[in-house]
Amino acid sequence: MEHKEYIYLTPMPVRIWHWLNALGIVTLCVTGLQIRFPEYVNFFGTYKAAIRLHNTAGVTVSVSYALWLFYYLFVSGSLAKLYIPTIEDIKSGLFRQAFFYFFSYFLGRPNPHHSTPDNKFNPLQKAAYLMIMMVLLPLVIISGFLLMYVAPLRELILLIGGIKTLVSAHFLIACCFNAFLFVHIYLATLGHTPLAHFKPMWDGWEELEEQHH
Amino acid sequence: MNIATSTILLSLAALMALAGPATAASQHNGRCLSCHGQKSIAEKGERFYVNPAKFAGTTHAVIGCPACHDKVSANHPYDGAIPSKATCKECHAPVQAEYSRSFHGTKAACADCHNPHEVKTPVSVSGDEMNSHCARCHDAKKTIQSHSKWLPQADLHIDAMPCITCHTGSKNYVITMFIENRNTGEKHSEFKIATHEELSRLLPGNRALKSLIDRNGDGLISLKELRNFNADARSKDMRLWGMMTPEVVTHSYQIMENRWDCTFCHASGPQAMQTSYVSFPEKDGSYTRVAVEKGAILDILYGTPDFYMLGSTRSTPLNIIGALILVGGLMMPVGHGTFRFLTRKNRKEH
Repeated sequence: MEHKEYIYLTPMPVRIWHWLNALGIVTLCVTGLQIRFPEYVNFFGTYKAAIRLHNTAGVTVSVSYALWLFYYLFVSGSLAKLYIPTIEDIKSGLFRQAFFYFFSYFLGRPNPHHSTPDNKFNPLQKAAYLMIMMVLLPLVIISGFLLMYVAPLRELILLIGGIKTLVSAHFLIACCFNAFLFVHIYLATLGHTPLAHFKPMWDGWEELEEQHH
Repeated sequence: MNIATSTILLSLAALMALAGPATAASQHNGRCLSCHGQKSIAEKGERFYVNPAKFAGTTHAVIGCPACHDKVSANHPYDGAIPSKATCKECHAPVQAEYSRSFHGTKAACADCHNPHEVKTPVSVSGDEMNSHCARCHDAKKTIQSHSKWLPQADLHIDAMPCITCHTGSKNYVITMFIENRNTGEKHSEFKIATHEELSRLLPGNRALKSLIDRNGDGLISLKELRNFNADARSKDMRLWGMMTPEVVTHSYQIMENRWDCTFCHASGPQAMQTSYVSFPEKDGSYTRVAVEKGAILDILYGTPDFYMLGSTRSTPLNIIGALILVGGLMMPVGHGTFRFLTRKNRKEH
C-alpha cells in the first residue's frame, strides 16, 4: 500500500518572515531599477514614489531581518545548528551536494540530503544562506541606511571612502540578491515534485517522497 | 615722418583712446577709495566701507565711482551734502522689469541681495555664497523643514544646490566642484569651502591655486589629476564638494513647476552630467573655474568620490558588472534547466 508522510518543517514565524522578506526584496529590486534607470523605467508614476516605496520596503526588510535574527538566536536558538556548515559539510558535504545538483541529479539519483526540522538545509544551502544572511543582507541594510540619511551621516560615509563607494556597493549587492533570487526560485523546483519545496514555505508541512511498502 | 613712425603713433593714440575712460575711472576710484577703502571708515557706518580688492573685480569698478555717484562735490565730505546714488534700473532696466514682476519683487530690493561694490558673475560665486544671500531672510533650518514636506533628504539637496537652481528660470546647469577643508585635528568639524589664503599655504611660492589639481598647467583637469588630488585630499582633511549650479541666471523668482518632478534633475542621464568644473577661490573672494575632463563625474570611484546624483551620475562600467552578476544568476535556471529537460527520462525511470 502507498501512503504519504509529512513533516512540519517550517514554523509560522519563519514563514511570515520569508514571505514578507520576499515581497520586500522584490519591491526593492523593482523600485531600485526605476531609481537607477529613471529615463527607461517608470513603474510607480513618479521618481519620488519609487524612492519612498524603496525606503519603506528597505525599512520593512531591515525590521524583518532583525526579528528573524532575534527569533533564531533567542527563541528557537537554532541559528548555528541550521545555518553554519559543520566540518563534515565543508570536507565532503559541499562537494557531495554540488555533485548531486550538477551530475547525479541528471541521472535520476536521489538527493543525498533529507530535510528535517533540525537539519533543514543541505551543505550548499547552509553556505549560501550564511553568506546572504550574515554578510550580504547586513551590508545592503547598512549601506541603504547610510544612503537614506546622507547629510547627517556624511562622516561615516567619508570613512568608507565616499558616497560613490557606498552606492556602488549597495548596487552590486542588490544585483547579487537579484541573481540569488533567480537561483533560489529555480532550486526550489528541484524537489521530488516541482512544487514540493514551495508547499512547506506556505503551510509548514513538507511531503516526504513516496514510500513503498 | 615716415610710415613706420606714423603707424606707431596712430596705434598709441588708439590704445590711449581705449584706455582713457578706464584710466580715468581708475583715478576716480583711487581718490574715493583713499577714504572709503579704509576699514576705519566703517566706524561711521558699514555702508561707507568699500573693500578695494572686491570692488576691483567688479564691472562697476570699470565704469568708475562717478558713474553712479555723479554729484559728489569737490568739497566732499565737508560740504554736508549727501552724494547722489544711481538706481540699478538706470542701467539694468530689463533685469529690474523681470524682477519686479516676480513674487520676490516686492519683498527685497536689488541691494538686499547684491552689494554693488562686490557684484560678481554667477560662475564666479560659490553655491554656498549664493545660498548665504537667501539665508539672510530665509532661515536655513526653516527652509529645510518646509522642503522636507515633499523633498526627500531636503538637507542634502539644499547643501548641494543653490536655491536659484530651482527658483529661477535658469536652464543650463553644470556640476561645479569646490575644494572644502576643515580644521586639522578636529576630525568631526564641518567641511567648509577653503579660502584662497588657506589653499595658498599648501603651495610653495606664488603658484596659481589651480595647480593644486591641474598639475600640468594645461587649463584642463584630467581624470588622472582629479584622482591624484582625491588620493591626497583625505590625508589633508580636504574634499571636493560638488554642486549643481546654473550658468546663466534669471531674476524671475518663482516656483518652477517642472522642479517638483525629481526626474528634472535625476533622469537627465549620464550625457547631461558630462560637463563639470572645479572652482578655485581668488584673493578678492570670487572664484575662477577650470574645466574638468568630460565624464569625470561618472567615474566609479576616484573622479568625484563624494558626489553622486541618483539616476544621473550612474556609472556604465558598474551597470555592466551588475548585468553580468544577473546573467550569472540566470545561468543556473537556464543551463541547469536545459540539462534537466534533456534528462527528464532518467528521473522517471528511477
